[in-house]
Amino acid sequence: MTAVTDLPVPQARLTAGAQAALITVIVGAVCLALEGVAPWLVKWPTAWELPATQWVGAFLDWFLNGIKPAMRLFSDLMTYPMDAANYALGNTPWPILIGIVTALGWYLGGLPMAALGFIGLSFVLASGYWAESMNTLALVAVSVPVALIMGGAIGILANEVPRVKVFVQAVLDIMQTVPTFAYLTPLLLLFGFGPVVGLIASAIYAAPPMARNVMLGLERVESEIKEAAIMSGGTRFQQLFQVEIPAATTQIMVGVNQCLMAALSMVIIAAVIGGFNDIGWEVLLTMRKAQFGESLMAGLVIVVFAVVIDRMSGTLATERKRYDKRVVWAVLGFAVLFTAAFWAWLPNPSDLTVLDPMAGAIDSSLTAFTQANGPWLDALKNNSLFYVLLPLRIGLDQAVLPFTWGFQWTPSMSWGLFAAGTVVALLMAWRGHLTGGLVALILIGMLETGIANLPWPFVLTGAAALGWVAGGWRLAALSVGLLCTILVSGLWERALLSLYLSGAAVFSCAVLGGLIGLASAVWKPVWTIVRPICDMLQTIPLFVFLIPVLMVFQIGEFSAFLAICAYAIVPMIRYTRHGLVNTPEEMMEAAISSGATEWQIMRDVRAPYAAPTILLGLNQTILYAFAMLVIAALIGTTGLGQSIYLALGQADVGLGISAGAAMAILALIADRMVQGFAEERRKALGL
Amino acid sequence: MIDVNTPAIACQNLWQVFGPGADKALTDALSRSGNDADKAATDLREQGFIPAVQDANFEVKEGELFVIMGLSGSGKSTLIRCISQLLPGTGGEIRVDGENVIGASKKVLTDLRRKKLGMVFQHFGLFPHMTVAENVAYPLRVQGVSKKERMARAQEVITLVGLEGREDSFPRQLSGGQRQRVGIARSLAVNPDIWFLDEPFSALDPLIRRQLQDEFLRIQATLKKSIVFITHDIQEALKLADRIAIMRDGKIVQIGTPTDIVLRPVDDYVREFSKDVAKGQHAKVASVMREDEERGPDDPGLTTSMTLDAALAHCMKLYEPVPVRDVDGNIVGTVHPSDLAAALQVDEA
Repeated sequence: MTAVTDLPVPQARLTAGAQAALITVIVGAVCLALEGVAPWLVKWPTAWELPATQWVGAFLDWFLNGIKPAMRLFSDLMTYPMDAANYALGNTPWPILIGIVTALGWYLGGLPMAALGFIGLSFVLASGYWAESMNTLALVAVSVPVALIMGGAIGILANEVPRVKVFVQAVLDIMQTVPTFAYLTPLLLLFGFGPVVGLIASAIYAAPPMARNVMLGLERVESEIKEAAIMSGGTRFQQLFQVEIPAATTQIMVGVNQCLMAALSMVIIAAVIGGFNDIGWEVLLTMRKAQFGESLMAGLVIVVFAVVIDRMSGTLATERKRYDKRVVWAVLGFAVLFTAAFWAWLPNPSDLTVLDPMAGAIDSSLTAFTQANGPWLDALKNNSLFYVLLPLRIGLDQAVLPFTWGFQWTPSMSWGLFAAGTVVALLMAWRGHLTGGLVALILIGMLETGIANLPWPFVLTGAAALGWVAGGWRLAALSVGLLCTILVSGLWERALLSLYLSGAAVFSCAVLGGLIGLASAVWKPVWTIVRPICDMLQTIPLFVFLIPVLMVFQIGEFSAFLAICAYAIVPMIRYTRHGLVNTPEEMMEAAISSGATEWQIMRDVRAPYAAPTILLGLNQTILYAFAMLVIAALIGTTGLGQSIYLALGQADVGLGISAGAAMAILALIADRMVQGFAEERRKALGL
Repeated sequence: MIDVNTPAIACQNLWQVFGPGADKALTDALSRSGNDADKAATDLREQGFIPAVQDANFEVKEGELFVIMGLSGSGKSTLIRCISQLLPGTGGEIRVDGENVIGASKKVLTDLRRKKLGMVFQHFGLFPHMTVAENVAYPLRVQGVSKKERMARAQEVITLVGLEGREDSFPRQLSGGQRQRVGIARSLAVNPDIWFLDEPFSALDPLIRRQLQDEFLRIQATLKKSIVFITHDIQEALKLADRIAIMRDGKIVQIGTPTDIVLRPVDDYVREFSKDVAKGQHAKVASVMREDEERGPDDPGLTTSMTLDAALAHCMKLYEPVPVRDVDGNIVGTVHPSDLAAALQVDEA
């Protein structure tokens, strides 16, 4: 062989991405062409559906009934601590409770935390929702220890037995994607209506973060510390409890913090099933009655609790200073004295109406606001619906009507659009961006058809193609296999609807959140403003997001869209900024000394380096969007979220679990794909 | 039977192979190659296993300071973890005081560690939630020694390493050098016979390193432990060791005294190490001395235990002062050859 023939010949072969995109284009085109001849290509025929939902329902009914006696016994047992907590919190005079929280705040974090506790609880007292709040708190107080013990035990067990660890990690991954409401339906069947369901749901929901952090913390203990414990001659038990767990305290405390927040969030969500006069129920009730002032007030009480619990437990995970214990005793003593001295005059907290005028004022000003800005708000809502959401959902061919766009879409317009798309694709291919061109063509095609009307072979091919590019054949097979279960179970259309709404929200979050993250990274003042907002948005329980959007935009898809965006945008902002800010100093200096401008550094150095981190942010955003999608079903979305919510109302376990599983599948596939891309990027950067 | 001649540690055909099913793979590879270690190692590598320690054979005598030296990735840390049984060892034998520890029960190992072994780590391995005294007393605590007793013992070793007054500090409040003193104190708390030190001074500044090396020698002079000491620093190895084992890619390529290593390297790899070592500091006159040859009339007073540097300085004294010229060839001064030799000597630390 000569040296000449060894030279690389210009390759005419396509890259993996281009191949995948090309196949997708071809399948899409075939589906479109055969639309008239073979309608089964577009819509999976009902006759082919398996009654999977019923099967799941029948099996679960059987299974749940089997374990019901044991579970009922457990729930009977749980009523004791719950009644006790309820009694204790409900009958302790409020000055003493405020004193205890203030003293705890001082003990944990000094003056700022004490002030936070005092002001927070005072607000709760003044709002008149004291009794309801205490009911909620009682649930949290009982569910959190259960969750901590369960999570801790699982975490330790997983750490000790490698085989269990693999299993636990897989289960935790899946649990992260299963929507919150989906837990509730089977629990409802097991435990019947009542607060115990909320309690157990929140314990189940709050245990995984604890387990995760215990595992992570133990894993991250320096190997030399573990070895030192071994070489000191400790037994495994001594190594674990005297060295490894104490050394992992910081991470475990992060777990405690997340566990508390998850429990609170779930307790409030569980109010949907009713039967318990807690603060979440109050929000729901006032929301249904369109008393937005009261509803906002109750929502604020929840936020206050969330902030107080989060910030106080957050201090556990940081290096703590010691504060003077005498102050603790002084505060407690004062609270007792105050109670004793004013015993006869202490108002019943439920009768307090200090803030009622405020609620009324909010209500009336809101009415005034919506009336004054009605046309403008309506225009915003309608334009978004008609020109963005609707075409995405059902496609230009159906969304463009004289009523909405002023003219009627015709088949020739479709042909024109496709032709334009092809020209764009060819142009881009000619410039060397073949994959980009094909993707553009696919997107134009999807816009014409609408996500809800996408032919199923096209969706499967697309998922397979993306999976293949992101993670190889195994991911492609996994994606197709899981999607097929949705397809045959008859939940396909609803799944596409969910995909459309979460897709639209994720896209908006990615663009907007990415821009905000970029601005925060390059310009400090932006971050000083954005950061507390992000902190706040992440502390607020999911449920509360619904109140403000509902107040302004009423029930409907647009409100749901906004609520999802508000919740899901945070990780995108955070990760984008984090990725961009953490470019290694040396790389920046190398770029600067090469004479790159600020913009060039951003484009050529910081953005590529941040790409894996930003992708992880996108991943979180997707998971957040799916989580919120189900909650947003309360204010009017279609799709799987709605099914899960309906199933809850009808105690239909089959539907609830199947729809929950379908959502989990969508989330799981999206998660794996984005992780795959992120992993590929990280490898390419050698990280 | 333990007699005075039993080595403190003896390794025979010791292997540590990483990878799933390594035990069987090693047995197979050895039987295929007919017990040829090199062939077996190549074979294992080709199958995707990592033979981190290959066929190690050596003994550490009672009271000997045995240094294992090699670059990062040469398997020296793996080797010391095999001996201390932090890693199980895939094949071969490790005898500690005559008893094989490979495959020993958990209880036996725990007992061994409680009574006979102490270990110091490169990054100290201190327990972050314990004070200095609690850290040092921990090996006693796990044995159930009473608090009073173990704190008294902790105080003794803390004094030994010169940390009096810092008993109640937490590790995070200490400097790197102080942290390693805590690590040393902790490893000595149970007064072990065998002392493992895994690159104990590598994470420290050069000055602190020198200081701790000297103190280490001082402590060893009084305690006379049997020591396995890991380092990647040839200067450190030559300074401390009674004998040195040099490792490369999982194999021990040479074992010898510091003089052997410097003057009689077995291959280029070892020679490369000793290249920038001032040989005169480490080699003794005995190592270059010849017997029964004709001698000249001069006698500068050399002895067998003198270093080559010192011997050179003595020889130079026999020469007359010589002239020194500038660039143009004019004589501008005088040099005494003995001054030259003296200037090149490094002050003994």
